[in-house]
Amino acid sequence: MHNIFVIAKNTFKLEIREKILYAIIGFGILYIFLMLFLSDLVLKELPMVKSFCLLGIYLFNAVVALFLGTTSFYKDVERKIVYFILAKPVSRAQFIIGKFLGLCFVLLFASAILGAAYIGIILYLGGGFDVLGILAIAMQFLEMALFLAFAIFVTTFSSSLLSIIYTSVVFFAGHIVSSLLTASKAIGLEGMRLWIIQALYYILPNLEKFNIRDMAIHQVAAPFTSFFFALCYALVYIVFLLSAAIFIFQKKEL
Amino acid sequence: MITYSSVTKIYKKRPVVEDFSLSVTAPIFGFLGANGAGKTTIMKMTVGLLAPTSGTITINGIPSLDKASKQKIGFMPETPYFYERLTGMEFMKFCGELYGQHGNVFNSFAEGLLKKVGIYEARNYEIRTYSKGMRQRLGFAQALVNDPEYLFLDEPLDGLDPIGRRETKDVILSLKKEGKKIFLNTHILYDVEEMCDELGVVHRGHLLYSGPVKKFCDGKSLEERFIETVEEHEKERTSKLNHHA
Repeated sequence: MHNIFVIAKNTFKLEIREKILYAIIGFGILYIFLMLFLSDLVLKELPMVKSFCLLGIYLFNAVVALFLGTTSFYKDVERKIVYFILAKPVSRAQFIIGKFLGLCFVLLFASAILGAAYIGIILYLGGGFDVLGILAIAMQFLEMALFLAFAIFVTTFSSSLLSIIYTSVVFFAGHIVSSLLTASKAIGLEGMRLWIIQALYYILPNLEKFNIRDMAIHQVAAPFTSFFFALCYALVYIVFLLSAAIFIFQKKEL
Repeated sequence: MITYSSVTKIYKKRPVVEDFSLSVTAPIFGFLGANGAGKTTIMKMTVGLLAPTSGTITINGIPSLDKASKQKIGFMPETPYFYERLTGMEFMKFCGELYGQHGNVFNSFAEGLLKKVGIYEARNYEIRTYSKGMRQRLGFAQALVNDPEYLFLDEPLDGLDPIGRRETKDVILSLKKEGKKIFLNTHILYDVEEMCDELGVVHRGHLLYSGPVKKFCDGKSLEERFIETVEEHEKERTSKLNHHA
């Protein structure tokens, strides 16, 4: 446990020194502040501003997660930095879990900065302290943590570029798969095609479970069970993905 | 004592190390072999980075993959790569923390190591500003953070200028005096002659000789004897292959 913490701390320290991270966060803040001008165009209609802001935070965090997940672990292995670490009393499982936790802290850091900018804008526009907005950002963070675990899993067996492609595809598929299944059933799809869509539905992560942006925008409180269920879903999926990543990494010849 | 018992390593269906058996007790043991002979693979297996396909490696009787064995060793890989955005001192602290060492006492110890390898003045600079020689020295220093009983150095003198080579050799010899066992890989014959008490000649994953350097040379130069030994092995191998054909 101690070494997991040491690796997580070091990963956080390294990644927050990456200029590209600040470029992404900087653009995110700029985007949120641009919403001040949008608010004039939409007659200060808060739901519209909230909608654009929360979507912006989501997309910028997704870029951060994609960047971190597909490069950090991969670079350590490709550049053989792991030689220093794994020759010390550190297991490969500890290394992967430590990397994941460190990257989660970086994501949390990015979410906190963008979230603070969002709260500031909403307060400025007279919308009060948006608790539901914060909950929506917290749910987005859970989704990004899952996304990060998937990216780390993929980089254990493929290159950084391929990982970006695979992870992006799964990200989009994870958002449409439940709608696709519902639509397929509605139009009466049968046989092999329905079976494939059902298989995808059960295999791919259902990322729509973490989307409560619409509820937050319209100030509709989501039931506690949906948060709890989303948290459990994310944890189970993350544990599964990291276990698979550890299994593959343990077989890897360094 | 480091013991290899019938160690074989197969990479992508190709044997890289075959039926390798050896016991090392010498204070400084050098593995000598051409590029691709299997020296690095043997060292990686010894420090627990790779698992042998068959056979066992033990350090003081403990399997090399065991965490208890890793507590006793220090390892410097060939052409070390680092976290570029950390400073030299931060990297040392990170390495120390992996052994549960931190605080002022450890910091002073780590600074002492950086002084020993000659990069103390650059300790607060980011590693990305280090020259190749400075990286090599940092790689050496981090291998000593746990005050190891056994030190494994893969081509430790690569990339160093003549002064750096001299200083590194002096450090290695002073570590020997402190009672540490040093195991180094090299393809530079002069380094083996100058530093090693015993050597192991490796070729195509086979151990061709192990024992005292002087006994191996037998009045000839190390270069001459090394080439003779490798050529003899090649001849034997070719005749065996022809016989099978």
